[in-house]
Amino acid sequence: MMEALLLYLFVAGALAGALTMLVARHPMRVALALIATMLSLACLYAELGVHVIAVFQVLIYVGAVMVFMVFVIMLLDTRDASFVQRYSALLLPGVLVAVLLAGALGVLLAQHYVTPPHAAVTADFRLQSFSAAFLRDYWLHFELTSVLLLVAVIAAVAVIKGRGERDG
Amino acid sequence: MDLLTLIVVLPLAGFVLNGLLGARFGRGFVNVVGCGLPIIAFAVALRCCAELAASGGAPQIASAYTWAVVGGQAFEVAFWFDRLSAVMVLIVTGIGSLIHVYSTGYMKDDAGYARYFAYLNLFLFFMLLLVLGRSLLVCFVGWEGVGLASYLLIGFWFEDPEKARAGKKAFITNRVGDAGFLLGMFLIYHALGTLELDRVQAAFAGGVPLTLSADLVGLLLFIGATGKSAQIPLHVWLPDAMAGPTPVSALIHAATMVTAGVYLVARLNGVYAHAPLASEVIAVVGVATALFAATVAVAQTDIKKVLAWSTISQLGYMFVALGVGAYGAAVFHLYTHAFFKACLFLGAGSVIHALSGEQDVYRMGGLARRIPLTFATFAVATAAIAGVPPLAGFFSKDEILWFAFASDRGGSPLLWAVGAGTALLTSFYMFRLLWLTFLSPSRVAVERERHIHESPPAMTVVLVVLAIGSALGGFFALPDFLAPVLPPVAVRAAAERFETPLMVVSVLLALTGLVLAARLYAQGPARAQALAARVPRLHRLLAGRYYVDELYDAAITRPLEWLSERVFLRGGDQWLIDGSLHGLVTLTQRAAGRLSRVQAGGLQRYVLLAGIGLLACLAWVWRHV
Amino acid sequence: MDRTQLLLSLSIALFALGLLGVVVRRNALVMLMCMELMVNGVVLSLVTFASRLGGNSGVALVFLVFVVAAAEIAIAIPIVLLLARQRRTLDVGAYTVLGG
Repeated sequence: MMEALLLYLFVAGALAGALTMLVARHPMRVALALIATMLSLACLYAELGVHVIAVFQVLIYVGAVMVFMVFVIMLLDTRDASFVQRYSALLLPGVLVAVLLAGALGVLLAQHYVTPPHAAVTADFRLQSFSAAFLRDYWLHFELTSVLLLVAVIAAVAVIKGRGERDG
Repeated sequence: MDLLTLIVVLPLAGFVLNGLLGARFGRGFVNVVGCGLPIIAFAVALRCCAELAASGGAPQIASAYTWAVVGGQAFEVAFWFDRLSAVMVLIVTGIGSLIHVYSTGYMKDDAGYARYFAYLNLFLFFMLLLVLGRSLLVCFVGWEGVGLASYLLIGFWFEDPEKARAGKKAFITNRVGDAGFLLGMFLIYHALGTLELDRVQAAFAGGVPLTLSADLVGLLLFIGATGKSAQIPLHVWLPDAMAGPTPVSALIHAATMVTAGVYLVARLNGVYAHAPLASEVIAVVGVATALFAATVAVAQTDIKKVLAWSTISQLGYMFVALGVGAYGAAVFHLYTHAFFKACLFLGAGSVIHALSGEQDVYRMGGLARRIPLTFATFAVATAAIAGVPPLAGFFSKDEILWFAFASDRGGSPLLWAVGAGTALLTSFYMFRLLWLTFLSPSRVAVERERHIHESPPAMTVVLVVLAIGSALGGFFALPDFLAPVLPPVAVRAAAERFETPLMVVSVLLALTGLVLAARLYAQGPARAQALAARVPRLHRLLAGRYYVDELYDAAITRPLEWLSERVFLRGGDQWLIDGSLHGLVTLTQRAAGRLSRVQAGGLQRYVLLAGIGLLACLAWVWRHV
Repeated sequence: MDRTQLLLSLSIALFALGLLGVVVRRNALVMLMCMELMVNGVVLSLVTFASRLGGNSGVALVFLVFVVAAAEIAIAIPIVLLLARQRRTLDVGAYTVLGG
């Protein structure tokens, strides 16, 4: 009962955050709304029992990605034309397409959802088992992601530096 | 290769050789090829005649090659040689060769010498195809071909737009007639399944085939003949065709090409024997043309134009003979006409040559003593055409007038009367020409007076040969020779006793014309001009050729030009075709402009489109999965 | 509707809202954040299914998605920064070099 309540609470929170993102004028408020959504999602993951992901959601997504975003918002002067006029010319078509898309996917979900057989999955989503499995079975992916991160770093440096040289 | 094919191929070889190599190898080469090959063709034709005589007139057939096989029916290029063909081939190659030789003198200073002889040989090739062809199809190829050669030669000096226009006029007028010819051919093929002349004749010999109206076919083919042989209403091209070199006028527009229509009708006499309506039309048109042309010739002042209208008139006589069934008489007149008309034209050429290009008879005169040989031959030919006995023209023309009166198939006193009137006019205007050119006191411009000289032997020898032919040709009884092929027509019993009186009348008419012309023009054109001043409107009508050209221009040419300009050019071509193309281009441009907004760099637009694409995929999945 | 269905509906909603935000909002940074919202929606559905399935593969995949998202944002934000510096505005309506 408590579970269900919390479930609904966090679902509502995520939705509220998403809607605020669309409506808010100041980008900082948008960022904070997104953080709220992400935290709600983290709670949902925890409720599902996937604690590892919940933790990583907070650490990586909120703690790194959104912090970076907030940092940039504070860096830039955000009171420009997009502050005054929030929406582009494609408001109506956009809403239409989004509604249709959601509707279509929802209908698909409603029609084809199969209630799975009751198999209480007693999965072990704790950090230890995850780490062991990660470094044992997915070590290649791990290495590849480190390469990817390296590439990202180099790319970021190149983007800033190269531009700087040409400008200067 | 058999002899008949050889006759046809020799001038073709001449065309190719002179056309391709003549300019490179010079005058001697062109002369040898251009004159030699027709002379050889004439010799071969004589040989074929000897064989024909030996076989008692049995027709020789030679097949050159099979042109096409269409659905089981084979169209062959084959040649047919019987008595009529023999006469035609000898005229074409014989007089043709003479005129080639004459041209070596007349055209010797011309820059297009090789081209001229190439075209002349080409003309001979097509004319021989026409007269030797066994099937109407081969005949038609020759028919069109001589039209082409005529166009090329009339417009020989094409840098002058007037001359080029004359060539075009001849070709286009011929084409109008050819439509009739083609229709006639189609009808014959449709009904009889064959175009071979002997088989067509045989089919008609047994009476008219039920599905085919001989009258209709006869009329359609006669329309073709009208175009080629310059009868009313398609006669307008022949006077303009005088823009070409004089030997061309002699060969093509006097002796051979214009007689193709006569040959066609004579060859298909079997059809016309069963086509009384068509024959009557031919006779009426013929006699009307004869009279019409003779009246116009009286008022012309260009020496070549007088001869051109005279040709139209004489062709009218030939058609009168054809119309009353006297096919042999028509061919007889064709044969004598070839001699004296060629002689007249070549003589005119000699005069023009002597006077350094003058063609207006009002500025000639007194040439009898200065160029006596030309004068003598011209006089003989004039007497021949006027019908003075015992020259050739007398025999053939009298024969025609006799049959016009007495033929069982359409002969009548009225027809004879009009013909006789025309004969009087013919004699009058020809002797008028003779007097104004040669015998009246000189009106020649001073600067030309000094250069008057007799023509070179190449020209004068030919003139003499033709004059002899004009004098003696009548003694060969051609109609009797052709009787097995062109059966003579019966004569009305009541008319038989008029034969000798009519002959006497003919002679009297010729002499009357001579006397009238002599009295009127002995001192030059002054008396005649005074006479003309008293009837100005009549004179203008005649001198203006009854304004037929102007009528055609207003009634046909201008409306066609208007139609072409307004409807087809502006309406069809510019508005419809160009407009639709430009419209297509404009449409494409506008559409492209609109479409390019898709890629206008609007990032959000791209995302939206991706979303729409995603929706489309989902919709498809929903339908099909 | 059971838990899975609810979460999947939420996932669909977050995805659609994110897409809407990308199309509709004019600020470049807000657009980026809406893209992050889309990713989160998808990750939610991924986690939902992973939790049902058990095993570590789903979890590992989600982890990898996080890493990639981080790398992506690390590049995207400098690009937006440079763009904003050059155009002096964050309004995507002003980015009209392609014209047409």
